[in-house]
Amino acid sequence: MSAGRTISTSSGRDSSGRDTWALPVSIAVHVAVLAWGALTFAAKPLKSESTPMPVDIISVSEFSQLTSGSRTALKVEAAKPVADKIGERKPADDPAAKIAKTEVHAATDVPAPLPEPKPPTPPTPPEKTQSEPKRDLIAEAIKKDLAKKPEPKKSEPKKAEAKAEAKAETKPEPKAQPKKEQPKFDPRKVEALLDKRTPQRVAATGDVVNNTVGLGAPTGTALQLSQNELEALRARLAQLWNPPAGASNPEELVVVIRMRLKPDGTLAAPPGVISYGRSALSVAARDSAVRAIFRGQPFNMLRPETYELWKDIEINFDPRDMIRG
Amino acid sequence: MTARRLISPLSRRHLLTLGAGAAAGALAGLLPRPAAAVLKLDVTQGNMQPMPIALPDFVGVALPDPAMARSVTQIITSNLQRSGLFAPIDQAAYIEKITNIDQVRFPDWRQINAQALVTGRLARLPDGRLEARFRLWDVFAAQYLDGKEYATPPDNWRRIAHLISDAIYERLTGEKGYFDSRVVFIDESGPKERRVKRLAIMDQDGANVRYLTRGDDLVLTPRFSPTSQEITYMSYGQGQPRVYLLNLESGQREVVGNFPGMTFSPRFGPDGQRVIMSLQQGGNANIFVMDLRSKATTRLTDTAAIDTAPSFSPDGARICFESDRGGRQQVYVMGANGGPAQRISFGDGAYSTPVWSPRGDYIAFTKQAQGRFAIGIMRPDGSGERILTDGYHNEGPTWSPNGRVVMFFRDPGGSAGPSLFTVDVTGRNEQRVPSPSYASDPAWSPLLR
Repeated sequence: MSAGRTISTSSGRDSSGRDTWALPVSIAVHVAVLAWGALTFAAKPLKSESTPMPVDIISVSEFSQLTSGSRTALKVEAAKPVADKIGERKPADDPAAKIAKTEVHAATDVPAPLPEPKPPTPPTPPEKTQSEPKRDLIAEAIKKDLAKKPEPKKSEPKKAEAKAEAKAETKPEPKAQPKKEQPKFDPRKVEALLDKRTPQRVAATGDVVNNTVGLGAPTGTALQLSQNELEALRARLAQLWNPPAGASNPEELVVVIRMRLKPDGTLAAPPGVISYGRSALSVAARDSAVRAIFRGQPFNMLRPETYELWKDIEINFDPRDMIRG
Repeated sequence: MTARRLISPLSRRHLLTLGAGAAAGALAGLLPRPAAAVLKLDVTQGNMQPMPIALPDFVGVALPDPAMARSVTQIITSNLQRSGLFAPIDQAAYIEKITNIDQVRFPDWRQINAQALVTGRLARLPDGRLEARFRLWDVFAAQYLDGKEYATPPDNWRRIAHLISDAIYERLTGEKGYFDSRVVFIDESGPKERRVKRLAIMDQDGANVRYLTRGDDLVLTPRFSPTSQEITYMSYGQGQPRVYLLNLESGQREVVGNFPGMTFSPRFGPDGQRVIMSLQQGGNANIFVMDLRSKATTRLTDTAAIDTAPSFSPDGARICFESDRGGRQQVYVMGANGGPAQRISFGDGAYSTPVWSPRGDYIAFTKQAQGRFAIGIMRPDGSGERILTDGYHNEGPTWSPNGRVVMFFRDPGGSAGPSLFTVDVTGRNEQRVPSPSYASDPAWSPLLR
């Protein structure tokens, strides 16, 4: 029993039956598993979503009529965006020059800020309170720091409101504030000026409030044809397709055509008609579908990046919904 | 020791073989396969628009009247435009001038957005006949679609234009055409108190008007035979209204049957061998069919009501007619040999003058409700009732040979007289039909060929 030799070509030969068929069986099972894996993980053809957004094509004048609004309508205030933690544009003053005035200002300003933020913040009359919010911020911070009262709770929402107002008004009068008495900038008080609120995200996450339309199919792949592209392609073909009307047997109007495109959206070859009916009406339906494809070039609503996905399209022209009844 | 025993079968040779097999299998899985990813798209909505079509003047060759080529083109253009399915493009916009009807520069026609193009040639043959050729092209697919040649005596030049119009219409819409047909109607002239009513016939576009009676007798309800050049109509000859048969080519006239009583609203059967009519005896009217060859008559209804205005289905198996057996005039459908009649009109109003479409898929009727007269269509089982036109006083629908257009007459009231109108079976494209004077009671012939 040699210690090192655990693998021996000759050991185990007494049960020769087990040995000779083990290898072929093993190979067969391995190949079978690999083949099964190769076949089941094949790419599935990309199926366009069958529940599209109905597209209503309207003219420019109709659109402007729709969105023109009315002069006598009630003025609705736009919703205020959630206040984000945005750094306030504070004038960088010479700190040393202001220190001397600190005490004086703090004493006089203490009572003033208190009533200011109390009324709920209507964003409309901003001009009147333009100077106070600015002073409020610094005064509040100083007050809080000096007094060390459990005021932070009250002051923070006030500061938040004040900040919101200030942010909203910062744009209209950006330069008015620096002209006022320069608020004190105490480098040692930077800590106090820092917003102690826990940071919040503005945009809603997940499926809660997001009102942008979700694009793409539920089966995700890295590069995907967007629903908008497919809808635009469908809408263009629908706009150009002029099927025969008044058919008594609508099934004969269904036409299936295969369209191969070049990367620039033009036809790579004449459209290949896969199936159509047998009657003269079917011929007319087929011709109108082919004509719609010719006229629709170039199909520039399809992005070049996804060319592999749309270079070969099978279109089913089915007018039965249109001519019911 | 046991472990060694288990491991020992995995000899180096075995391992190598296994590894080779696994590698081969893995590589086989990586062999390139077709992606099998054809994008599928459904287009279920379209845009029903008249098709823009370009019709440059026919090229004239050795014509006695050079303007005839242009006139032929204009008849075709006007036919296609009146159908409501085509939008001929103004010739002023054309870029290419056609001299050879077999050579076309498609980009020139694409530029003016023509989807179809017709080129044609009209020539006078050495024997005096006219020869017409046309070619129909699909501009965007750059393909030749259809083309025909005709030769005819020169007087028939308008018919050539109608035949070409039919060929173009059929190839582009898939439906049979209706332009090579005629309309027989009652021409009314004179003041309202003393209208002179004459039987007249004209091409469906209003040309070639010919009068068939002199106006001495009151004539009503003319109808075309589907197979021959014959008309059946009613005339109040010597007091009694009688059904007559008139041969258009020979001009011969004969009385259909000699019934005791008044006969009304005759119509031909689809084989042209039978005439169905309403016979009034006493206070009621019933429907009779007469075989034109054997003169045998068959009574189809036997009620105490007024059954009138019968019309055959195109296969001759059923008839529809108007009856007030239920109290008010309604439309009924019955087997062509008699039997139980089934009511198919159930709307609010009185239904009259039912006419079965030559395609068999609709029955047209006049509907009277609340003082208004409407022309409508419904399926032979009574479903899908749709009103095509409404007003005061529309009446007397008749179908074009392809079952696509309904012609009727409208009396505006007052001192003016009635006129003929056509409307598409979809209810669109109502057009007035030109007539020399007032006109009523139209009947559309089948295609002349």
